[in-house]
Amino acid sequence: MKNNHRIVDHPVLGSLPEKDSITFTFDGKEYSGLAGDTIASALLANGVRTLRVHEASGKPRGIYCNIGHCFECRVTVNSTSGVRACLTEIKDGMVIESGKPEAQPFASKNVQDFPRTYAEFEKKQKVKGDK
Amino acid sequence: MDNITICRCEEVTLEDIKNTAKKYNCTAREIKLRTRAGMGYCGGRTCRPIVDTVMEHVTGEKPGDNIPLKVQPPVRPVSLSTLEGKENEK
Repeated sequence: MKNNHRIVDHPVLGSLPEKDSITFTFDGKEYSGLAGDTIASALLANGVRTLRVHEASGKPRGIYCNIGHCFECRVTVNSTSGVRACLTEIKDGMVIESGKPEAQPFASKNVQDFPRTYAEFEKKQKVKGDK
Repeated sequence: MDNITICRCEEVTLEDIKNTAKKYNCTAREIKLRTRAGMGYCGGRTCRPIVDTVMEHVTGEKPGDNIPLKVQPPVRPVSLSTLEGKENEK
């Protein structure tokens, strides 16, 4: 597998030292990273930027804060859900699954129109009753 | 500009917050309860300061009023199995 998104020669940090290669799977596909990589950095080096999708809308999500604060990069690692890809180091044979959209049986569309108080609710009910 | 996402966990845009704030002339806490901004997975750690700032612009509400967007435990998402102590048994 190619790792062609890596900075091999950095003007300040110098050249990338030799590191062990580690293989893991993401959504069933095999990838390789270097020892010490986080899940997010290893996938980024492989050109994978979408780590999950929003549960309700299905919009793609990836690295956002990259310091373990926003939980936008959470993935499922060895069937443990809610693991932050930006903080978790890759290990050989890790099985990683991305976040998938969830069923929205009770999605409501007119949240803005909900009554603010019980009095308002009663008023609305009365208007409905009069019709 | 208005379609900027403020709360990424619950996908609340600046427009949603502005409209709700104008319609109900409400506090930051009520914005949170109505739009769910700051009630998502990250616990509002990402968007709380932004919601406070937006509210200051829209209704002039200064953060730190008597019912602010407070921080309360758990400060980090904790699974029930961890609370139960299952993690330690492994």
